[in-house]
Amino acid sequence: MPVRVAEISAPSQVSGTISRHTSPPACTLLSVGQAFSGTQNVSSIQKEEAWRVNVRIQGCDLEHGYLCGTMEALNVPMADTPIVVTFWEGEIVDTKNYTFFTGKWDASPEDDKRHWTKFPSFLPLLSQVEIDGGKSLDLSNCPYIFMRWKEQYFVNVGTDCGLTIAGFYYVCFSCSDGSINGFYYDPNSRFEVAALSTQRCCNICSLV
Amino acid sequence: MPSATVNNHRPRELLSLLASADPEIKVRALREVKNQIIGNRTKKLSFLKIGAVPAVSGILADSVDNVIDSNCNNDNINNILVQSAAALGSFACGFDAGVHAVVDAGAFPNLFRLLGSSNEKVVDAGARALRMIYQSKLAPKYDFLQQKNMEFLISLLNSNNENVNGLGASIITHSCETSLEQKALFDAGILRKLNGLLEGGSLSQRDASLESLATIFKNNPEIISKFSGPEIGRPLSSVIDLAKDRYPRTRLLACMCLIVIRNTSPLFLQDIGIKTKLIHILLELLDDSGQVGDEAPFAFSSLIAQKEDLQELALEANAIDKLLHHLQKGSLHPRRYEGILLALADMCSKMESCRSKFLSLQVLNLVTDALTDDSADVRTAACICLKSVTRSIKNLSAGYFMDEVIVIPLVRLFLDPSTSVQVAALGAVSNIVVDFTTRKSIFVQCGGMKQLVQLAKSMESAVRSNALWALKNFVFLSDNRLKESVFSELTACLLASLICDPEPSVQEQALALVRNLIDGCINSIEFAFAEDGLILAAIGRQLQSASKAEIGIQGMYALCNVASGNEFHKEAVMHQLFPLMDDKNQSFMMKFLQSNDSQLRAATVWAILNLTCPLSPGASGRLEKLRNAGIFSQMKNMVNDPCVDVKLRVRTVLGQSMAFGNN
Repeated sequence: MPVRVAEISAPSQVSGTISRHTSPPACTLLSVGQAFSGTQNVSSIQKEEAWRVNVRIQGCDLEHGYLCGTMEALNVPMADTPIVVTFWEGEIVDTKNYTFFTGKWDASPEDDKRHWTKFPSFLPLLSQVEIDGGKSLDLSNCPYIFMRWKEQYFVNVGTDCGLTIAGFYYVCFSCSDGSINGFYYDPNSRFEVAALSTQRCCNICSLV
Repeated sequence: MPSATVNNHRPRELLSLLASADPEIKVRALREVKNQIIGNRTKKLSFLKIGAVPAVSGILADSVDNVIDSNCNNDNINNILVQSAAALGSFACGFDAGVHAVVDAGAFPNLFRLLGSSNEKVVDAGARALRMIYQSKLAPKYDFLQQKNMEFLISLLNSNNENVNGLGASIITHSCETSLEQKALFDAGILRKLNGLLEGGSLSQRDASLESLATIFKNNPEIISKFSGPEIGRPLSSVIDLAKDRYPRTRLLACMCLIVIRNTSPLFLQDIGIKTKLIHILLELLDDSGQVGDEAPFAFSSLIAQKEDLQELALEANAIDKLLHHLQKGSLHPRRYEGILLALADMCSKMESCRSKFLSLQVLNLVTDALTDDSADVRTAACICLKSVTRSIKNLSAGYFMDEVIVIPLVRLFLDPSTSVQVAALGAVSNIVVDFTTRKSIFVQCGGMKQLVQLAKSMESAVRSNALWALKNFVFLSDNRLKESVFSELTACLLASLICDPEPSVQEQALALVRNLIDGCINSIEFAFAEDGLILAAIGRQLQSASKAEIGIQGMYALCNVASGNEFHKEAVMHQLFPLMDDKNQSFMMKFLQSNDSQLRAATVWAILNLTCPLSPGASGRLEKLRNAGIFSQMKNMVNDPCVDVKLRVRTVLGQSMAFGNN
């Protein structure tokens, strides 16, 4: 796997420096520079659509449960331009900085549970999450990292491009193979389900 | 009536008057020297150049024997002693060259002898002069571990004379450095004496005591716990009370003492109330227009540095606004300017909320202005401040910092005469060049890239390693065109020699740079093979003798990236891992796999993963070789590695090896 390093002179940039032992493990596949490619499926009563997405991680601060990056959407049907790029910021559910309960963005604990349970890997954690949002969970050996990604702004188009970034994604990342799955939540959205599914891009032949 | 000609003599005239045999003329000349040099650095220098200090010191030496005669009531002698001591003290006051001259002239022991005089004015003059000398780092070190020295120190602290016991405290502040010395002072009961000065002394005695206590406490939790124990009264509360004293200098010194206590023994002073109070007191002390205000930001930095909880409290106390407000005043004393910039750097070092606050005020120009200040310390502090602020990934992503206004003055500092400025500028640039908006052309156009390459050849290892760090970040995720321009400027030969640099930190950064150069499209792997594989060979050599884990990590990831290429690339990596035909020699890979460092284990497993990709034709041969070297047995021991990342990669490797029907 080609790996890159950009060490911004910040102690928080280094992976594996989490102080509390119950936080999710650091993962080389989820680090600055890693790229992912896949599809976003959008369905409504009338139709289903899909378009390609490319995701790039630009920042990763495990100590503060923070992640950020860009998402490129290619050939989005309702968009004016062929490529729409957004910048997003993520919250890593590490039980220290963030729990499974969002606590904002118009997402209630019921909304949270409804979305997290769409991920099979979440089901073993459900009972504890129902008690305390997962605060007392030990995620240090969990091979999945759960996150919320919220798009902050459009990078290359205006806000009148026909797309919305009002909602956010519930995301599950697999530390084993670097695959990402996500479900979009926007209480005002006319779409019932929006699923994001990506595999990590790589230039080598060993991992596909 | 005072003579109209007093203070009108030129230095050389005064020098000859000092040599007069007439004691009254001598005394007048001494007094005039002292009056001319007080608070006047230029005059001090002029007198220094003509040998005034040895002359005055000689006068002191000639008269000091009379101190032994305790019945000496000769006014002339006493006046000479007082005025010569005062002049020497003035030479030394705030002027290191003066301290140097006084010590070199042999006056130091004679000044101590004055303390034995029965004449109070002589004792005072001696003590004051010595206190001024002990304010300087150049004062001779006092050896507390010698019994008679400790006894003498105790006698000073026991004295009723304020200058004399103040001298005792100054000596402690100046010379107490090691834990052995701290313990010796504690065992001699010095803390109790200092506490006595703290509680019952004058302003000067309290201040001197606060400074001494901080020195004895520094990095010594055992002594702090004893000081805070019940047997010494309630001294900690005395210090806390003094933090609210009406005199600014006392407040500052008390805060500094509390900060030393807190930094040494974090269990103390945990109360959020005291933390908030300290922050508020120090921010308020910034308003002092004198030396206290100059030093306050440094104390503030030592309170909050590396501590997010305190940075958060300081943010709530509007520390960033207040610091910037002072920065905006302009015409700051260099010490204060430096202190405020460093305090802002510490505030923005860890938390995005602080950086966001700073950037929201849109006063980055206040920091970039400081990049061209006359003082090297100010320029360094400005760079360090920019380094902290540019840790904002959100703003880096938006390309906010890749701006001529910021980049050009920083690149100019690459040629600064001060090494610390160069290194600090490199630190800030290292962040700024991590630019995701592909606007790096600004940096290239102003010659930044070429200068980085030049700095990679510097005689100073700190400059070399920081220049390589900046280059590493510069080529991160860059297109091949940019990488080629860097590589052709750097050359394979230079990069290979930097990989084998005598300094481990340089080796590490050079390897990381290679890792970033090679990453990306398959063409970029060719960088490792330039000039007959100079770089690849250097990587292999360095990994054989890696002196620290970080070197192994970067080297293995560089090899991992090469191994992501075609068959030729993978075989070339195998040749580096197993340079000898005899597989039985333990490769450094085994050592890395057994390392305590999880990142090193992970990097090594990633390289193996790429080498044994089932889809490549030669994979089975490489697998065999790795198996024969015991690598696979080692990996089987790692299926439950305590590091999840390593565990998952090991399982992937073992899983893909099953494609070859072997276990």
